[in-house]
Amino acid sequence: MKGEVIMTSNEVAVGNSVKKRKTKKRKIASLDRRKARSGWFFVLPFVVGFVCIYLPIIISSIQLSFSKITTVVGGGTDITFVGFENYGEALFKDASFVQTLVSGIQNLVFEIPAILIFALFMAVLLNQKMVGRAAFRAIFFIPVVLSTGLIEAIDAANIVTSSMEGGINSGAEQSTADQIVSSIDIQKLFESMQFGSGLAEIVTDIVNNIFDIVNKSGVQMLIFLSGLQSISPAIYESCQIDGATAWETFWKITFPMISPMILVNAVYTIIDSFTSSSNVVMSYIDGAYKTGQALSTAMAWFYFLVVILIVGAVAGIFSAFVFYQKRD
Amino acid sequence: MNNQEINSTPTIKKESKNKIRVDFERSPLKERLKTKFLSLFFVKKVVWYLFRLILLIGIAYIVLYPFITKIAGSFMSPEDFVDATVRLIPRNFTFDTYIAIFNELNYVEAFINTFMLSASTALIQTFVCCMVGYGLAKFKFKGRKIVFLAVIFSLIVPHRTLQFAMFRLFSQFDLFGIFSFLSGNAHTGIGWIDGILQSIHILPIEGGSFNLLNTFWPLIILSISGLAFKNGLYIFLLRQFFNGVPDELEESAYIDGSGTLKTFISIILPLSIPMMITVFLFAFCWQWTDNFYVSTFFTDSGPTVMTSIVNIPPSLKTSYAGQNIYYSAIRNTAGLMIIAPLIVLYLFCQKFLVQGIERSGIVG
Repeated sequence: MKGEVIMTSNEVAVGNSVKKRKTKKRKIASLDRRKARSGWFFVLPFVVGFVCIYLPIIISSIQLSFSKITTVVGGGTDITFVGFENYGEALFKDASFVQTLVSGIQNLVFEIPAILIFALFMAVLLNQKMVGRAAFRAIFFIPVVLSTGLIEAIDAANIVTSSMEGGINSGAEQSTADQIVSSIDIQKLFESMQFGSGLAEIVTDIVNNIFDIVNKSGVQMLIFLSGLQSISPAIYESCQIDGATAWETFWKITFPMISPMILVNAVYTIIDSFTSSSNVVMSYIDGAYKTGQALSTAMAWFYFLVVILIVGAVAGIFSAFVFYQKRD
Repeated sequence: MNNQEINSTPTIKKESKNKIRVDFERSPLKERLKTKFLSLFFVKKVVWYLFRLILLIGIAYIVLYPFITKIAGSFMSPEDFVDATVRLIPRNFTFDTYIAIFNELNYVEAFINTFMLSASTALIQTFVCCMVGYGLAKFKFKGRKIVFLAVIFSLIVPHRTLQFAMFRLFSQFDLFGIFSFLSGNAHTGIGWIDGILQSIHILPIEGGSFNLLNTFWPLIILSISGLAFKNGLYIFLLRQFFNGVPDELEESAYIDGSGTLKTFISIILPLSIPMMITVFLFAFCWQWTDNFYVSTFFTDSGPTVMTSIVNIPPSLKTSYAGQNIYYSAIRNTAGLMIIAPLIVLYLFCQKFLVQGIERSGIVG
């Protein structure tokens, strides 16, 4: 009798443990699922918006680039599908679109590295301990929040009027700091140093656009600064003890550690400067929008395709050199 | 060696119960100063310090110069612009430009409208981007990568590309034809179905869709769904920030019986206030000075916003020689008046701007 009882209790115990294991497993799975569900809950606004608003916009925009808009008598518009006609018109018939595109890309080939290098340099400077660091930081981030949109448009309008004005430079309202360095001086300097005139041109361009570059590198500076902050001071300390100079520390420690940020910033800078309203191509497309929306949309999509290709190429090249610190 | 010798013979005197006095022989002052200030190390430090200071001041000057010229130009009267001897300090000091813009261009109305628009969209954007960033950072669910790619995609596609499509969508706003279905305006082309559809009159909407132009709704809808200007960037920044928040915080909250939403609101959000202020500052300022969405969604009969301030007030119209320069000075003054509230906001928030970003510790 006794034995039997023990047997059954054993069985019950075994059964219980099996059950327990099963429920335990199910519990883990359900916790995961619950977490997944709340994850979806958190991203829900974006997902719903993306599906309900963004995708229709994108699709109708792509549709638009393949069609023609004709105004119907009585106020409505009629949209008919015309295939690649708009793209053909933009690429082969429009006299200046391709030209603008090429020159826009050429400008950015020099501007983007300049922005990146400047932002990294300033971030390293602003990361050092010194008197008035907070004040300098506050000043350097002013353009990020203030020199966008309307203010940019006003500046652009002023440049147009001042160029219309011609020689008169007496007023103080010339907003761009365009006379920092006379380009002739630099050209002379470079000629005496036996460099080609092409290099001199690039340098004078960059120096004269220093205001633009400072203006555009605000967000990049922020991202670099945050990257610099995330490097552990212990690494620098051990370098110092081993006798590394500041120069060596920068190239052997700071640069590799910050290389993921360089990738992020390179992509961000390309996108930002290609899509900013002050960009030549963007303003050309904007101008075309007023005369024909379909053509302008086709141009914009073609331009977007080019930008994506450039971003992909740059990201591909950069990511080969990026160093990721192993995360624990 | 020298130090050791000096330190080896300190004399310790007990002055009172809790106080001792240590006397030791120090090397003479002159020698101490010599070792401190005449070393190469010190010279290098000073040179670097000066170089850095000059460089920073120079660049700060470049940043501030346009603002200084704008401020100077805003106080000048027309005569000063043709006077070659006047550059930064006005000779005939005047407030006329400010007064004219303030009185003749509906500055107050534009200010209130823009403030309402910017504040509401910025608040919504901050909260929504926090939610999405938190969801992407802390929860592992199927399709997370796809959602993140969608965020990046929405950042990459310039909204100018979508201008006309956005205009059309919001001029006849309708979610999947739900509204037109509920109001009996749906069409299928088949007679009897149309008859049934037309008998549905649940919502009294004319034409079956809303015209949301000239209202704040397009921007608010875009904000709620995290698709407004540069929201992809905010989501990205916040995701990086939340990645750096240790999981233990939430786990302990879960163990204490708090749900995910409650944990998010009462634990995660208070932690991320600097970052949220950063995002709010960006969203507010970029919406404040925006001229793209406003020109897309608001027609001439729409609400007055800051864009309409950038005009020449009727009383200041002239036809004298320096007209163009004077007009651009007026536009600059308008620009200054537009960003004046932002400067105040920036002064309050700039401390958090760097703090928030610093703590985000963006990696990759």
